[in-house]
Amino acid sequence: MNVLQNIKTLYFLLIFNSIAFSYANNRPFDVDPPRYCLEHFHFLEDDFFCDTCGCGSSGGSMGYGTALNKNFMGLRYIGQEYRSRDGIFNNSPWINENFNTVQAWGNFPVTKRAIVNIILPYQFHNRIFPDNTEQKINGLGDISVLAFYSLIKATPDSIISIKPEHYLQLGGGLKLPTGKYDKANNTGSVNPSFQLGNGSWDYILAMNYGFSYRNWGISTMFNYTIKTKNPKDYQFGNQFNYGINAFKTYYVSDLAFTPIIGLAGENYASNREFDMKVANTKGTIFLGKLSLETAYQNYSLGLVGMVPIDQNLNNGKVALKHRVSVYLNINL
Amino acid sequence: MKYYNLAIVAVFSFFLISCSSDEDGTNDSIELTGSGEVSITFDNGFADNDLVLGSANAANANGETLTVTRFSYIVSNFRLVNKDGEKYVFPKDESYFIISQETEADDVELPEIPAGEYTTLVFGIGVDQEKYLQGAEGQGDFVTLAEENNMMWSWQAGYKFLNFEGNFTSETVADPTDFKIHMGSHGSSLDNYKEVTLQLPSNILVSDGMDPNIHLKIDAGKILVGATNSIELSEKSVIMVDAEKSPQIAVNVTEMFVVDHVHNANGHE
Repeated sequence: MNVLQNIKTLYFLLIFNSIAFSYANNRPFDVDPPRYCLEHFHFLEDDFFCDTCGCGSSGGSMGYGTALNKNFMGLRYIGQEYRSRDGIFNNSPWINENFNTVQAWGNFPVTKRAIVNIILPYQFHNRIFPDNTEQKINGLGDISVLAFYSLIKATPDSIISIKPEHYLQLGGGLKLPTGKYDKANNTGSVNPSFQLGNGSWDYILAMNYGFSYRNWGISTMFNYTIKTKNPKDYQFGNQFNYGINAFKTYYVSDLAFTPIIGLAGENYASNREFDMKVANTKGTIFLGKLSLETAYQNYSLGLVGMVPIDQNLNNGKVALKHRVSVYLNINL
Repeated sequence: MKYYNLAIVAVFSFFLISCSSDEDGTNDSIELTGSGEVSITFDNGFADNDLVLGSANAANANGETLTVTRFSYIVSNFRLVNKDGEKYVFPKDESYFIISQETEADDVELPEIPAGEYTTLVFGIGVDQEKYLQGAEGQGDFVTLAEENNMMWSWQAGYKFLNFEGNFTSETVADPTDFKIHMGSHGSSLDNYKEVTLQLPSNILVSDGMDPNIHLKIDAGKILVGATNSIELSEKSVIMVDAEKSPQIAVNVTEMFVVDHVHNANGHE
């Protein structure tokens, strides 16, 4: 079964990549070689997508892209506050759960059109039970490695272009079981996702599409994580994330300010244990986002806030309060 | 224009790829050998809320607001049905338990259940006539336990299967008035022993090192307002030996139990 699933997954990756490479080889969308021009290189795909369920798990985020700069390395903090029911009743107490992640992350150029994205997360989570006891877990999360290929690449000098500049990236990769999955955190009736990692090898498919026109733009992102069974026979549900952002850049002397407004959503399938569905583990969440990115020379500083617009996680037993993120990147 | 087409194709292929099969499986990943312990949690509530002794609950369908001060019941004769329809009967002599909100006894532990995948839980409420007719000696320590928990009238009158006490108010009863509902079999003259069959929402797996838990959600509100029998405390607030109302309560009590969820393979690793 496991082998079959892996084959299935590989098959999907193959299709995905073959689509990518068949287009790539034909190169029907050849554009001018990029000229470096910092101000106008808007690839705002900085949504962070956490498995709510297993937020701990997924290295927190699936926001592979950065803002403003295509290739970068940096640090990102993601803080998320959830509450989850400690009990099965409508008046069972809520407990607060804080998921914190610090990531070393980067987009590293490999060829003109290909980049590798790496995220190394360190997690420190805590939750406080109704009797005021606190549980803390911390450690390495799940490392993810993805490759993106640009099918369509925007020319960087879009400010003088009279047409919108499009880009389209397809990617795929792996999330490694580097974060500890502790079965004991999964007992009881509370959030099953209070974990450092999924404990499984997971496969990621991703797509980013956007366009910019003069100093404003739209970016969209989709990604899908196929999660496999971990050694404890627990399998977190597959996860589909999507997001759309609108942004505009303003220049003030040496600084570029880019306010971003966006919408994002996440869908989770049911978790499984011993191949059987685990009750109250699927869910959906739809979020609004406000963000500001400030760029100075080769540095960019981002602030992101997200709040739920609509959510139904774990049959209402888990609720996100908000997410915040801060990142500081250096352009490569 | 080509760009748009490509984008559409890409999005489309993405969604195609994103489709996942979601068939409901049974376990086929591990071999179940030996035996394990099945625990059953009786999580007492009132309507959809937690039951807290001494706190008023929301008014029921008869407009009566109950404050419960005691909620205890006897559960017995546990059986588990596996996916092939075979029934495992837990040893009868060890199969009598008292669930009590007062003493926080909310757990039944059934050790040495043969390995397997079980779909259904069956148990009784109260003490069956077969057991009762074994006489005081045949009860082992259970008589003492029942006496300690106020679950016995006298040996002749028999066990209280349910001991539900507190006070209530209603439209016609403004001052908090005590109620007492003691339901049992009345010796051997009236048999109020009933059984409950609960289909599990997800199968449980029992094996060496795999000790699943079945988490039941109990609705004490059903004692008075069941699917077919509605009992008003305003009419009669003390129901003990009552040839008409006791059997109705016995039926209502069978409706209290719902499986909220199960936990597989946690615990003792």
